[in-house]
Amino acid sequence: MQYLAINFPPISEVLNWRPIFLGGSSFAFNKIAVITMLAALMTLVLFLVAGRQNQLVPRGVQNFVEAAMDFIDNSIVRDAMGPDGAPWAPYLTGLFFFIFFSNLFEVIPFFQMPATARMAVPAPLAIAVWVTFIVVGIKKQGFKYFRNTVVPSGVPGGVLIILVPIEILSTFFVRPFALAIRLFGNMLAGHLLLITFTVLSEALFVKSIGLVLLPLPFAMLTALTGYEIFVAGLQAFIFTTLTAVYIGDSLHGGSH
Amino acid sequence: MFSVIFAAAESSNPILPAVPEIIWSVLSFTLLIVLLGKFAYPPVKAILNNRTAKIQGDIDSAEKSRAEAERVLAEYREQLAEARREATRLIEEARKTAEVLRRDLLAKAEEEAGELRARNDEALRFERERISVELRDEMGRLAFDIAERVLQFELDRNSSSALIEQFLGEIGATQS
Repeated sequence: MQYLAINFPPISEVLNWRPIFLGGSSFAFNKIAVITMLAALMTLVLFLVAGRQNQLVPRGVQNFVEAAMDFIDNSIVRDAMGPDGAPWAPYLTGLFFFIFFSNLFEVIPFFQMPATARMAVPAPLAIAVWVTFIVVGIKKQGFKYFRNTVVPSGVPGGVLIILVPIEILSTFFVRPFALAIRLFGNMLAGHLLLITFTVLSEALFVKSIGLVLLPLPFAMLTALTGYEIFVAGLQAFIFTTLTAVYIGDSLHGGSH
Repeated sequence: MFSVIFAAAESSNPILPAVPEIIWSVLSFTLLIVLLGKFAYPPVKAILNNRTAKIQGDIDSAEKSRAEAERVLAEYREQLAEARREATRLIEEARKTAEVLRRDLLAKAEEEAGELRARNDEALRFERERISVELRDEMGRLAFDIAERVLQFELDRNSSSALIEQFLGEIGATQS
């Protein structure tokens, strides 16, 4: 593990966490499970507290939750789905906060691990979205949904031979994969970057000669920590927006 | 460095999802969506909707009050203008009435003065006539008296000088 005095942990050490209890079974409860549970719990507590406060002039938690809700309602639900997307607001709000908090644990001390950097978190979310937009499409448009989706209107027959397979591929296969891999990749990369600069800072700190260079990796680490907070929000926003767009497509029919 | 990472990667795949983690993440996400949708989200949404409704109501009622105030102001302005017009009209009317009254009074006064003058003239004429009649009577009487005295003188020359003196004295008394 020693390489030029820099002690890089093996990747399994920074991604695979030992079970806390129920080890060995399929229900092994490890750090990722703790984080996802906490992410869900924090979201619920925030909303319950905000709902309990119920002040005309919102402060603190209520203000934060209302601002976030307003942002999701206006910038995600209304923009991507239009007025009839309103019933999907709670689902998208939950999705946003769950991803955001799961991401945010990347920079929360002692956890320092984004749950979304494990494929076990983004993949089921992406599958849930995939199932949702297909079910909504069938419910709204019947089985014509598939035809409406893969056969764009106003395209000459010859082009359809190329276009239909592309549409099938992009809508039903690429969408869920892209959703999952975008979130997973971004968070994993951020996590590894933070580890890299932490390890560098630590190594330089240990080696007295390196103290001269210490500020550089440490400054980078500080900057990256801030950047990762931004990424946590951004990725949650992207995932939620794309979900809204996909469900909106299913609601409104072949709009592309 | 890379060999270390790759070596570690061989021991457990960092990309494939682990079954226990899937179970817990699905469980927490499902619980979150169910509980959020059922208990946590609606109250906050209700707060926002109520506030929106309240603010909208406040704006509407403020708008209504403003419109009402403007209407009342316009009404008052109209009334003020009306009152001003009325006042001007009244003053004008009073001035006209006064003018008519003045002319009437003047005419009447002139008429009365004329009447008075005529009456005076009449009285004067009457008085003059009366005086002249009286004078004539007096003259007649005097003439008669003189004639009588003359006749008496003719009859009685003896008492002449004393009588003439008396007569002349009487005339002098009458003239003065």
